[in-house]
Amino acid sequence: MNGASLLDFARGPAFEAALAIMTFGIAWRLAGIFALARSVDRSEPRSRFSGLRGLRIILSRSWPRAEFRERVLEWDIVGYLFHIGYAVAFLGYAPHILLIRNLFGLRWPGLPGGIIAFAAGVSAASLLALLGHRLSSPVLRQLSNFDDYFTWLVTFAPLVTGLMAYYGIGADFQLMLGLHIFSADILFVWLPFGKLMHVILLVFSRGTTGAAYGRRGAPV
Amino acid sequence: MSATTIDTATGPGKLEPSAGRQGTFPDAKRLEYAMTSFLQDLGATAALYLEACVHCGQCAEACHYYVQTGDPKYTPIWKIEPLKKAYKRHVGPFSFFYRLLGLKKAVTLAELESWQELIYDSCTMCGRCALVCPMGIDIPSLVLAARHGMQAAGLVPRDLWEPTDRANREGSPLGATKEVLKERIAWVSDEHSVEIPLDRDRADVLVTVSSVEIMKYPTSLAAIAKVMRHVGASWTFRSDGYEATNFGLLAGDRKGQRDATMRLINAAIAVNAKVVILPECGHAYQALRWVGANVYGKALPFRVLHISEFLAQEIRAGRLTLKTDPRSMTFHDPCQVARRGGVSGAPREIFRALGADLREMSRTPGLNWCCGGGGGVITVHHADPLRYRVFHLKMQQVEETGADVLVSSCSNCRLTFDDGQAHFHWDKTAQSLLEIVANNLAETH
Amino acid sequence: MTEETILDVLGRRGFTRRAFLQLCATVASTLALSPVDAAEMARRLEYKPRPTVIYLSFQECTGCLESLTRSFSPGLAALIFNDISLAYNDTLQAAAGRAAERARDTAMKDAWGKYILIVDGSVPMSENGAYCTVGGRSAVSDLRHAASGAAAVVAVGTCAAFGGLPYAAPNPTGAVPVSDIVGEERVINVPGCPPIAEVITGVIMYYTTFGAPALDSLRRPESFYANTIHDRCYRRPFYDRGMFAKTFDDEGARQGWCLFELGCKGPITRNACATMKWINGTSYPIESGHPCLGCSEPNFWDKGGFYQSLSTPTGHWSREHVLGGAAALGVVAGVGKAAVSRSRQKRVPKSGSGDQKSGDKGKDDTKL
Repeated sequence: MNGASLLDFARGPAFEAALAIMTFGIAWRLAGIFALARSVDRSEPRSRFSGLRGLRIILSRSWPRAEFRERVLEWDIVGYLFHIGYAVAFLGYAPHILLIRNLFGLRWPGLPGGIIAFAAGVSAASLLALLGHRLSSPVLRQLSNFDDYFTWLVTFAPLVTGLMAYYGIGADFQLMLGLHIFSADILFVWLPFGKLMHVILLVFSRGTTGAAYGRRGAPV
Repeated sequence: MSATTIDTATGPGKLEPSAGRQGTFPDAKRLEYAMTSFLQDLGATAALYLEACVHCGQCAEACHYYVQTGDPKYTPIWKIEPLKKAYKRHVGPFSFFYRLLGLKKAVTLAELESWQELIYDSCTMCGRCALVCPMGIDIPSLVLAARHGMQAAGLVPRDLWEPTDRANREGSPLGATKEVLKERIAWVSDEHSVEIPLDRDRADVLVTVSSVEIMKYPTSLAAIAKVMRHVGASWTFRSDGYEATNFGLLAGDRKGQRDATMRLINAAIAVNAKVVILPECGHAYQALRWVGANVYGKALPFRVLHISEFLAQEIRAGRLTLKTDPRSMTFHDPCQVARRGGVSGAPREIFRALGADLREMSRTPGLNWCCGGGGGVITVHHADPLRYRVFHLKMQQVEETGADVLVSSCSNCRLTFDDGQAHFHWDKTAQSLLEIVANNLAETH
Repeated sequence: MTEETILDVLGRRGFTRRAFLQLCATVASTLALSPVDAAEMARRLEYKPRPTVIYLSFQECTGCLESLTRSFSPGLAALIFNDISLAYNDTLQAAAGRAAERARDTAMKDAWGKYILIVDGSVPMSENGAYCTVGGRSAVSDLRHAASGAAAVVAVGTCAAFGGLPYAAPNPTGAVPVSDIVGEERVINVPGCPPIAEVITGVIMYYTTFGAPALDSLRRPESFYANTIHDRCYRRPFYDRGMFAKTFDDEGARQGWCLFELGCKGPITRNACATMKWINGTSYPIESGHPCLGCSEPNFWDKGGFYQSLSTPTGHWSREHVLGGAAALGVVAGVGKAAVSRSRQKRVPKSGSGDQKSGDKGKDDTKL
């Protein structure tokens, strides 16, 4: 398969299939979770809207509490560098915005290529650091499984192929662009089946705890 | 704690001579019972939590066991690994693929046995991990689900199962039977010259007690009586519903938990109580205040208050007036009352009423370190060395406040502090908030 | 009798030696050769026997020939096509009908094994090649025959090189590129729709002088097709700074900003437009405000729309239907799986603690 046919495949049938599989998988996983038995909490709430107030956890949990910062803040920051760099590169780059406009009709101004490349570079470097952390920390090594490493790879690949295409490193642009889009297709396909699903589960998981703790008036 | 008679009869719930194994049913049955129990607990909420974990490992950094030992096995989410495996293999949306591809192996009995120390000895269900988790996963609720499975399989540590079994049979884990209660009440009433009503037919307030108080800190019975006299409440103890501790909850024994809760609910209904006051005990508050209605199946026909909530309410209402106690104090928030129970404002109102110089241990109320004795861990003697290591963390935190007086409102914490104090030859003795209040009641007018 | 050399021909046409050397220098610079190579070219051309060129046209639009004959480097084009050796081209030659066919046959027989075969247009294979015939013979049989005696086959234009327009979906004539008939290893592709005139003549000149040029993986001469339009585009700085024309008449378009958003295929198109330009170096599509169509690349007609940017998907699925269907199927699968899990919760045998009442499975009323 040469660059031209890979690119045609990646932005043609593979992309459509990836979107369809992603949608299918997300629906499956969410339905598979939420259709399980649920229990009703009959306890008297601390106050009338205390459960709703607990939902502030959805935002507040994005930054560690003072009590935990000493032990977790450094790697939190690295994690944020990765996430923010990724978001800037994905949402700020004009060709990506065109994709979003094509899909959803939304658009916003893009950022200069240099800023995008910097953001992607920071993100890639952070991701490498996070992998190093995962491999060197006994706690993380113990918890890690195939999902963690495969997801890392699937997340890293679009960054690297994108940067290589941008700087003309490696194969020719068409092949790199094809690889870049194809790696993004894989990312979409994998999203519902691995830990990437946290982008969706985050709100539900925090919200569930926030509502339950809020009901009790407990700190969230 | 006195030893329980070893009942060699077959069937679950009975002790057999080997430590940490109850019942004499075959291994295959044990595993089956555990898995059955796991499945039962794996509803939508547990599923959401188990699906959401991104393996970031931050929960370890919030856990006193990991922080003190650096041993990765104490990572909170790792403590429920067998439950997670069962979930991924049998319940989750993609469980078919996990089985097909062998991504998650079946849980084995050996695994469950080796996880016993993680599920029971080294988790107080204090819930700090749930507050650091970026995904907001309530890990203690998963630990409890794991304990349910372990109990079903007859795999509760012997030291914890003994009091649980005793509570199931006698109504109290520490031998504080009705008769003992009556004796203690008579004695304390006499000793402290205060009337302690027992088994009144009707009362607005049903007061309950922790057997730790009955057996170790009987003064607290006098303290509550003095406070109730001071505020002029219509109250009583009931010999058919006095024990607020709930070892069924701690051990993961659903039936025991339900029975203990129902005894309190029925007693409260019997006296037509408007309020049930829970003693200075953390998990008692969880068991009745937050789980009670779910066990009962509908909203409880009375309010449930932790003693500190009651005291603060009475102060606010002007019925409880206190003398000033200006000493510098620090307050140990019991995990199940504050962090997981939502009561952190009330004790502080009381300290303000006392005019005490309160020195906080953490910036967020309720985010202090656990004493290390909760979740039934204090009963498990082979876990003592580990418990002392995490207690050291607590000790440091108390010392850093520079306060003269250490106060808590959980007799189980108090027990843990007493034990740690003796072990480390520490100069601080944990005081009861209730007793401090009782000692500082303004002269009645 | 010795064969006539190129210099002999030029002499007959009144070219001075000085003019000849100048011409060689021009060609060499077009080919990006060094001055040493230019001298070498002149030396070789002086003694090279006059080559024979056979030019066959199949499914094509004559645009390539138009490009060639309207070249603003007439010296070179004229040199090759009028003077040197064009033995057969059905559009340009004076002869017609059977006379023309006979002339071709004679030229091919005389130079068998030595002539240069230029092919313009794709070759239809459906219906036994009936979609394109000359003198009752199909294009494919003519091509096979002509190729078997050719020293080199040059596929001029994207139709000949990659199938081009006739090859575009649904390809009703069963068109194939020249390489499919004569074998990829024999072909030099000079794609473009049309190719730049100087590129066509430059390649033939180079072949005449030095033999086969260095080719890329698509058998295009590297001297013209090594870089993408994007690499050499004068609007590249705007791309790098994220400054894009959004429509053909907005401020960005007037300011000459990058045309990526308007569908420019420059980033994936290898050609010499941005450096050699067209009409004697006057301009090229992007310079005149239009995105590159990517005409020198295979399947350029089928890469989504010309005005659809490269980073957008080319699929034609109805997303509402496909994604809606996928979501519905997913929900069915998820709810089905959950139902299986729930039924397993109900079927469980009595557990060790013997306390499980039926009817509350999965609803743990004793949890924290």
